[in-house]
Amino acid sequence: MIAIKAENISKSYRLGTISAGRLREDIRHWLKKQPVEDHLVWALKEVSFEVNQGEVMGFIGNNGAGKSTLLKIISRIAAPTSGRAFGKGRVASLLEVGSGFHGELSGRENIFLNGNILGMKKREIQACFDEIVAFSGVEQFIDTPVKRYSSGMYMRLAFAVAAHLNPEILVVDEVLAVGDVEFQRKCLGKMKEISGRKGKTVLFVSHNTQALLNLCDRVITLHKGQLIDDGKPAEVIGSYLKNLQSDYLYQEYDTPDAAPGNDYIRIKKVSLQYDTELFDIRTPFIIRFECWYADRDPGSLIAGIHLFNMAGECIFDVASKGAPLQPGLISGECRIPGNFLNNGAYYLSIVFVKDTTTRLFYFEGCLSFNVEDYRENTAWFGKWMGYVRPDFPVILNQQDVV
Amino acid sequence: MENKDAWDWEISSGTKWFQWRLSEIWHYKDLLLRFVRRDLIANYQQTLLGPFWVFLQPVLTTLVYYLIFGRIVKVSTSGIPPILFYLSGILFWGYFSDCLNGTMYTFLQNANVFSKVYFPRLIVPLSSVISHTVRTVIQLLLFIFIYLYYFSQGEITGSYYMLLTPVLLLITAGFGLGAGLIVSVLTARYRDLDYTLQFLLRLFMFATPVVYPTSIVPEQYQIFFWLNPLTAVIETFRAGFFSNEPVYIMHLLFSCVEVLLLILVGITLFKKQELKVIDVI
Repeated sequence: MIAIKAENISKSYRLGTISAGRLREDIRHWLKKQPVEDHLVWALKEVSFEVNQGEVMGFIGNNGAGKSTLLKIISRIAAPTSGRAFGKGRVASLLEVGSGFHGELSGRENIFLNGNILGMKKREIQACFDEIVAFSGVEQFIDTPVKRYSSGMYMRLAFAVAAHLNPEILVVDEVLAVGDVEFQRKCLGKMKEISGRKGKTVLFVSHNTQALLNLCDRVITLHKGQLIDDGKPAEVIGSYLKNLQSDYLYQEYDTPDAAPGNDYIRIKKVSLQYDTELFDIRTPFIIRFECWYADRDPGSLIAGIHLFNMAGECIFDVASKGAPLQPGLISGECRIPGNFLNNGAYYLSIVFVKDTTTRLFYFEGCLSFNVEDYRENTAWFGKWMGYVRPDFPVILNQQDVV
Repeated sequence: MENKDAWDWEISSGTKWFQWRLSEIWHYKDLLLRFVRRDLIANYQQTLLGPFWVFLQPVLTTLVYYLIFGRIVKVSTSGIPPILFYLSGILFWGYFSDCLNGTMYTFLQNANVFSKVYFPRLIVPLSSVISHTVRTVIQLLLFIFIYLYYFSQGEITGSYYMLLTPVLLLITAGFGLGAGLIVSVLTARYRDLDYTLQFLLRLFMFATPVVYPTSIVPEQYQIFFWLNPLTAVIETFRAGFFSNEPVYIMHLLFSCVEVLLLILVGITLFKKQELKVIDVI
């Protein structure tokens, strides 16, 4: 049975500010009944798909690919410019956690407020109220106004409400990218539990390819507003990463405002350097990064590098030693010797962790590269097995001659 | 299977003119009450006097009007005790302007929630009107309390028309809501309307018989005054409680029609634009 059907959904936004000119345009549009074509940006173009009941569907794509816009339309928050979407069953959308939280009200009041906003009935909330409170871990402060909560407590309470939603269709947009590692694990676990329930349809947008691989039955790739791939998670994600990451060796940002990151860490530059003309299995290389560190409460900072192959399997996870760094510009590097990686396509992510437990920022898939094959004195060109291809000597000796 | 009726919901580019889906609001009644509760609780957090502000506002305004219009300018109150006269006008005017102000910023103030969660948007203006109704009813109890004092002194007599009060409240709320819905769509698109409207609203108060009775208005201008739905509302209220003037039932019915039309236009426009407005906020 089909739970959601999208037919040729397109969505355009008008650029420009609201002004007297805007009013004139509105009137012209109104009189002529035709769209004003100048200053239009297309966020989605002719996207069609169907989601079966009980299916967990993932959406993947670069920033600006139209994923969030699509979820907004499915959630009935925004109207498409053309096309239609239908659905069967109650939709609850988690495009952010804590929608409608009111700072002056207590945690208790906000659980009810947020639950009602998300479409729960008072009875339903009362039934799982104790569970929500226990899940959030803020029992002690449940009657304190939430404006006095720390941002972590606020997030936990907000997610706790969302996690106890019980709609037929759940729409989730990257809300998992918040909180500390332990909390993220808890959230992913809950997501997995929800999507595992029978008959539950879930639409899930994330940059976290591992999460998508683990949770989804099907994945759709969006690129510049168009649907370009639709199928089994492993295949779709594999080809997405391959297309995305054909040699992405360098990223640099001039100002913190434009840079990827958050209030703690902003990336200035990441690069992968090697000296030879061709990058093959013998080539040593250096991963370098620079970032602005702006934690008001600095601690012992650790930077880690996670290297993945295109199947999303982690090859290694290395980390620096903790360093008591002060806010400012920070740089780091990691040297990888030659004759170590097998040939193939790889991507890497850089993680910044404070005091060994708090993840400040995860710069996912920031670099990618291809290691070419290189063989000497052989006539065999089949795929060399293994994740790594070290040049450990294997010695052959003639012990005796017959 | 592909039968259109089989779908629970649909979203498309064109919204139909009269698709109000009011049954959905009933489905979300818990949210409606929750918003009312939030408004009532949150408004008086961290204030010294708390809920007493509900009384304090009309009482202080009444005293000021009494001093200025009663003692200094000496406007007629057509035989009604001045305190009750001003208080009655202030109650209805305050109710109207609260309803209008509470609904005209629906999109601007809720842009964040509206761009993240779906629920029938009409819930927000409706809840605002309901919470102002609660306040007004409490203020009305204060009015009745003072009224009973004067009544026991034998200074005034009422008539059965005072039983029309709930209808009068409905008309007032409907006027504020209807106008507020229309304005909320417009202010979301063109912000400067906001300043203009606040200015007009202040002037409009003087075109409403809050501090004077309609009877002192010259005959040839009266027709314009009766075009204002609030004129009939306030005059009927005073006539009911003080029997100072005849009750103009026809004028009141005309106000009803005006307000119903306004609500019809307001809801239609609101429902038609609620999704489109989100894109431009």
